[in-house]
Amino acid sequence: MDSLGGAGLSAFPNDPKMQIMRQVQQEAAMQNARMLVEKLNEHCFERCVPKPGTSLSKGEEGCFTSCMEKYMQAWNTVSKQYVARIQRESQQGALGAGGL
Amino acid sequence: MDLGGSSIGSNVDLSKISERDKQELQQFVLNESQKARIQSSIHGLTDTCFRKCIPAGTIKKGALDKYEEPCMRQCVDRFLDANMVVLKELERLRQ
Repeated sequence: MDSLGGAGLSAFPNDPKMQIMRQVQQEAAMQNARMLVEKLNEHCFERCVPKPGTSLSKGEEGCFTSCMEKYMQAWNTVSKQYVARIQRESQQGALGAGGL
Repeated sequence: MDLGGSSIGSNVDLSKISERDKQELQQFVLNESQKARIQSSIHGLTDTCFRKCIPAGTIKKGALDKYEEPCMRQCVDRFLDANMVVLKELERLRQ
């Protein structure tokens, strides 16, 4: 399945198989983005706006920017660590991470 | 993007797809759902570990510092260790 990279998917725009594959991938990317936005809002609002005022202050906005950067960096760290671990465990042929 | 969750393939004539392509699609969807499951786990883990590793209150710096970064990594590993303990214990109880 390695041949199905982005270039492979756009090479045959009218192929029904490729169309479905592209739609599935878009839907997955969309879902992923939605989840990230939800988490960013949840965490950063809680930390940056402890007492909501009449408008967002400059300080709160600055906190949001830092918080988003930090959260996304944390997401990438977790992603690397998690993927490395499940790869290691599936190579060992052990139980893997199927329980999650 | 006007694709609702169930509308994938609705504008595609499925009868034009060969059996071989259908099998390939099945495998593709299987792979994609596994990827989606993994990503969903990553979201959950980031959520849990961010709470534990990044001290409460206003956030001043946009980067993870030298305590937070290892904490996030350890949090992932210990969470998975703990997950394994739960599975093993349940397995033991089942016997």
